[in-house]
Amino acid sequence: MKTLNILSAFILTFCVGFIAFTQDRVLLSKAKVHIGNGKVINQGYVGIQGEEIILVENALTYNLDKSKWDTIIDLKGQELYPGFFAPNSNIGLTEVDAVRATRDFREIGTYNPHVRSLIAFNAESEISTTVKTNGVLYAQVTPQGGVISGSSSIMKLEAWNWEDAAVKTDDGIHLHWPSTTKGGGWWAEPSTRKSNENYSNQLKDLREFFEAALAYSKANDKFDARFEAMREVFTGEKRLYIHANQLRALLDIIDFKRELKINYPVIVGGYDAYKVADQLKDAEIPIIIKGGHTLPENEDDPVDLPYRLPALLQNAGVLYCIQNSGRMETMNTRNIPFLAGTAMAYGLTEEEAISAVTLNTAKILGVDKFTGSIEVGKKATLFVSTGNALDMRTNNLTLGMIHGKFISLTNLQTDLYHKYKEKYEAE
Amino acid sequence: MKTALFLTFLFSLISTLTLGQIPTPNNGVKKSEASAYVLRNAKIIVGPDQIIKKGSLVVQEGKIKAVGRQVKFPNGAIIIDMEGRTIVPSFIESYSSIGLPKAESKQWSPRPQMESSKAGAYYWNEAIHPEVQAAQHFEIDKKGAELLQKMGFGVAVTHINDGIARGSGAIVALGVLDHSEAVLKSNGGAFFSFHKGVSKQSYPSSQMGAIALLRQLFHDAQYYADNKDSNPENLSLNALNEQLKHPLVFAVDDKLEVFRANKIGEEFNLDFIILGGGNEFEQIEQFKDWKNPMILPMNFPSAYDVNDPYVALQIPLGDLKEWELAPSNPYLLKKNNVTFALTSKGHNKAEDFWKHFHKMLENGLSREDALAALTTIPAEIFNISDQAGTLEEGKIASFSVFDKDPFEVKNAVMEESWSLGKKHILKEKADIDIRGKYRFSLPETSYVIDIKGTPEQPTGEVITYKTMIDSTTNPVKKTIDTIKVKAGIKVDFRDAVFHFDVDDDNYKGVLTLHGNFSPKIDAFLGQGQTPDGIWIKWAGVQLSRYKKKEDELSKHAIKVDTSSIGKVWFPNMAYGFDSLPKKQHYILRNATLWTNEKEGIIKEGTVILKDGKIEFVGTGNYSIPHDAIEIDCKGMHITTGIIDEHSHIAISKGVNESGQAVTAEVSIEDVVRNDDINIYRQLSGGVTTSQLLHGSANPIGGRSAIIKLKWGYSPDQMLIPDSPKFIKFALGENVKQSNWGDYQTIRFPQTRMGVEQVFYDAFIRAEEYKKRWNEFTQLSPKQAERKNIKAPAVDLELEAVWEIKNGERFISCHSYVQSEINMLMKVADSMGFTVNTFTHILEGYKLADKMAKHGAGGSTFSDWWAYKMEVKDAIPYNANLMQEQGVVVAINSDDAEMGRRLNQEAAKSIKYGGMSEEDAWKMVTLNPAKLMHLDDRLGSLKKGKDADIVIWTSNPLSIEARVSKTFVDGELLYDESKSVDHYLRIQQEKARIISKMLASNKAGEAKKPFIKKKEKHWHCDTIGDSID
Repeated sequence: MKTLNILSAFILTFCVGFIAFTQDRVLLSKAKVHIGNGKVINQGYVGIQGEEIILVENALTYNLDKSKWDTIIDLKGQELYPGFFAPNSNIGLTEVDAVRATRDFREIGTYNPHVRSLIAFNAESEISTTVKTNGVLYAQVTPQGGVISGSSSIMKLEAWNWEDAAVKTDDGIHLHWPSTTKGGGWWAEPSTRKSNENYSNQLKDLREFFEAALAYSKANDKFDARFEAMREVFTGEKRLYIHANQLRALLDIIDFKRELKINYPVIVGGYDAYKVADQLKDAEIPIIIKGGHTLPENEDDPVDLPYRLPALLQNAGVLYCIQNSGRMETMNTRNIPFLAGTAMAYGLTEEEAISAVTLNTAKILGVDKFTGSIEVGKKATLFVSTGNALDMRTNNLTLGMIHGKFISLTNLQTDLYHKYKEKYEAE
Repeated sequence: MKTALFLTFLFSLISTLTLGQIPTPNNGVKKSEASAYVLRNAKIIVGPDQIIKKGSLVVQEGKIKAVGRQVKFPNGAIIIDMEGRTIVPSFIESYSSIGLPKAESKQWSPRPQMESSKAGAYYWNEAIHPEVQAAQHFEIDKKGAELLQKMGFGVAVTHINDGIARGSGAIVALGVLDHSEAVLKSNGGAFFSFHKGVSKQSYPSSQMGAIALLRQLFHDAQYYADNKDSNPENLSLNALNEQLKHPLVFAVDDKLEVFRANKIGEEFNLDFIILGGGNEFEQIEQFKDWKNPMILPMNFPSAYDVNDPYVALQIPLGDLKEWELAPSNPYLLKKNNVTFALTSKGHNKAEDFWKHFHKMLENGLSREDALAALTTIPAEIFNISDQAGTLEEGKIASFSVFDKDPFEVKNAVMEESWSLGKKHILKEKADIDIRGKYRFSLPETSYVIDIKGTPEQPTGEVITYKTMIDSTTNPVKKTIDTIKVKAGIKVDFRDAVFHFDVDDDNYKGVLTLHGNFSPKIDAFLGQGQTPDGIWIKWAGVQLSRYKKKEDELSKHAIKVDTSSIGKVWFPNMAYGFDSLPKKQHYILRNATLWTNEKEGIIKEGTVILKDGKIEFVGTGNYSIPHDAIEIDCKGMHITTGIIDEHSHIAISKGVNESGQAVTAEVSIEDVVRNDDINIYRQLSGGVTTSQLLHGSANPIGGRSAIIKLKWGYSPDQMLIPDSPKFIKFALGENVKQSNWGDYQTIRFPQTRMGVEQVFYDAFIRAEEYKKRWNEFTQLSPKQAERKNIKAPAVDLELEAVWEIKNGERFISCHSYVQSEINMLMKVADSMGFTVNTFTHILEGYKLADKMAKHGAGGSTFSDWWAYKMEVKDAIPYNANLMQEQGVVVAINSDDAEMGRRLNQEAAKSIKYGGMSEEDAWKMVTLNPAKLMHLDDRLGSLKKGKDADIVIWTSNPLSIEARVSKTFVDGELLYDESKSVDHYLRIQQEKARIISKMLASNKAGEAKKPFIKKKEKHWHCDTIGDSID
């Protein structure tokens, strides 16, 4: 209780003028530290200077010199986590689903590798303020639609503008693999689906596009906006995120990687991945799986398959992480901690579940060199919860930090809450 | 004198010939016709109960004159030898639209059409047109008739296949007939369906809307009949009231719709003859005491193309099982004593019909039953037994002639179809059978030819010889080379033409031979032309006869086998039961009990389930029921089942009736669907009761269904008996159609201002309506008669609105922003009713005090927001703030996915606002039970309440909680420990049927590409479904 009081006072001060504050050396003391790589320190010290973590030690064995720290925050009994990631997200690209004017995540056209999500990112998104307060601090902001929907970028959710927010610009191209079934209707009234007899032709078109882009990438005297955006896919500087779910598509992607020499393919979706986990592991293709809060695709599937998929891939040794695309995805970004938690209920250990939304994601997105875990030299993007952050009951942030900056733990919703609570209390 | 006598005689003869016919002028001299036919030496299937192995049939004046082993042949009759043939009475098609025009669709418009656009004094809804009469539109359709005749039909009941009340059918004879003779009966029954057809009127937009419309229609018809004098003329109701005396056929698409249609029939005392969907066997238990005859389709589903295993693995088990069992549908219904006619509906090719016909026999239906279902039963249904159905004397001479008995062998070929005594040749028979081995003798040489194939299309092979001379040797060496060549053969009446290539010592080129065949001596005689163009004489003598393969008959025999077919599961799909689970007694020990009662949470407690009820809860002494199954729940938690106040699972064909602003007449209870996999999935998340709400497309929506998630049971068995009545209201963006596109700007209301007025209007109308009724019911029948006051018209919509005002029906109102919530409470206060529940109620926190004062509960989402403008101010602290002000608060799903983890959603109340765990748990159990007025039987662990019990692996609010077991009414319906068994059982069953399907693919049977039915996930704002 005492700690908490100190802490809220501290946050209030901090909120007033945190710019100057960030240059100081801050020590987060004695929280249970979940490193993100599977390890845990029951009572740890995490020291921060500027944007970076400069110290991670076991409080029981480390000899602390308190004088070296400007601020020491006692977090005993609380739990400290690396900031969670929301990969394949449209946060910042939309505010109100039903209002077309606020939707900026789907451009028209089929092959749009040159379209970039980055510049449409709203750094002041109201939705984003409710996401940070649950511990989700980074997002891979991703365009949707078409065969190639465009380039995503990895953004921190506390920033002045999109340039400031971007931690990795144009990290990858998003390719929507042809479906082996077709049809669809809309979400509420899906029509029947049948085998897509054009699957092979669509695959051929796709290959042609990639072959042309590959050929282009070897020349330097021409300019084509689409192929230019593709260039770095072949050098390995950009990842190729391939959205696919069905068994046949997954197997075809393995061939595609080999034949077109794609350096960093990543599968997004991967509903059937557990059926070909060995092949995907051998091909070194990681998977960003749809989080568990979805229904099974087929009525014959085990009812808990979406819940169990993380554990199935974990046991098979495939590198994977968790995302939450789908219906109501933007506002539900704040529930990513509980997607990891549900995976824990269905077979993952607690630390494996944490990795699935932190270091694993950072590795897959290619930002693990500077973030994704609580390790010295990495950016100080982390949060502290009074209890297990993967459980709704105890996900209760007392502190959050993005690249060394403390974040506000209030938002429009907490404001309204307090406003009306006070109204009733006054009556 | 003599002349006069003769003329009298002649006149009387003519009059007998034309007896019963209306004199019709004739252009020229009367058409010459044979006076009678005798078909002799045939196997005659007189009817289902009588077969004459060898007998004669006498046809005169379009009727059967006599039938029997020995009958008198009339003078001047044409005698036809039918040796080896089988004569079958013409089948009667019950459901056809032959000879009738297609209903024409008006041009599509994106704008809604609120009112009827039809001219004339007709019913207000365009899908209701009982005045349409098939007989007025009937035209002879030779092509269509021939298709039906090839399937064995000679009589059809035809109607214009469009709309909900479709009009009356005509009973027609098929074939090349005159209009004057073809229509046997103009009033061939009235037809109904749930499809609105080409009507573009917005209402009804859902199946429950179609059901409500029919019920209202039958009320209207009754009222109209009783008050004919005081009402304006209505041609539709005139026609309907006349029709109700005739057979009433109701066409549906699915087993569940059979019961929906039947329920309407029972309510209005109408005996609907229901044309089923072909999958009735899946609900066979409910057909035990079926009263009315049915009509069953035979267009059994064809196999999927399963050659690609990637495709095969996606086919749901339910589809596979339906494919396997559908041909048994008639047999299984017969076994349950259901009387039915069969229809060829859905067949575009006669051969497909016969394949299905034989498949049906092989799956167990007896020949007598099959024949009756195609002849005598439809004749009885449509009251034409005196005319058609059997080949008894006096009935119409409509029958089919087969070369073999089609009830015994699958390769029987129909040769002729007779209709009203007129013969139609359907399959040209060759007049001669020239098959055999011959020597053809030509002037210079001869050839041996072997003729095989069929009599109509023979094939031939000729052996020719050529002398090869090798002049390099001495003496010159001669060898004879034998060459086999194919001969082209064409049979033309009694002649045959052969041509084949020759290259021998005599001819080089094509040899053409034309010969006349003499069947008596099996020989040819004729002329031919050599390759050089020279005409020659030739003769052919048979060397040996053509031998039929012995096994041919047995190969085509119909073999009945019902043993290799899988069982029907309940429901007939993945996770279905072999048989329904039995109510058993259970004793659950050593668990942490979340009682939701004053006892709170009990550690190491025991729960006993007996006879579907909770028998004991707690610690201490208890008596163990006999045969109780004991489950050790150490480390586990036991709660009562989760109750979802707002769900849209398990609903057929439309969750919204969006065609009008007020649709209080429709009810979800009419369209509950028991084969939605989401029922099982919700059980796996601990849900045992759901309120299936109408959607939120209109201010006053439809009535709710409150169901237990009794997986495996029928829709009626899922409904909670005597459950409180509920109705959906809605406010805001959905009812003003804000997000439906720019064309939906016609229906009132389009603003929140208008919404208020819709409510006032409905309640004021309901008051007036009830006043009229009260005035009437206060009178004794005598007084009413004296004052000539008749019962007012029944208005189903206002009945329900009145029930609300009278406290007999509760409101669950979809609501978001505080202004409109406040408005509805003010409307309610001034009109004297209470809003029972505000559902969604995302801004409830802004006026929770007013809600508490009004007495409204709140059923909300834990944390949804930002999906539309009106949820911008939604906050996850809503549940806490409302609860703190004394509102009874529940957390609901409105979503099949979220519905199966409502425990997690409840736990969010702890995070957002600090609710206690016990209170949080009540948000998804006791509180929704209270809101639904079911807390006397549900919602807590208390002796006497329903045994809806969930065993959890840990604290149910914890993220780590999984459901171990779910009981509904004391039956174990979900068991996590059985999930591996389930998986294996499903895989085995799929593999078994797919291998059968593969065999069917290989055998070249009809197949179709895989089509995956996407599951329908309804939400509040889901509009429409395909009921066109």
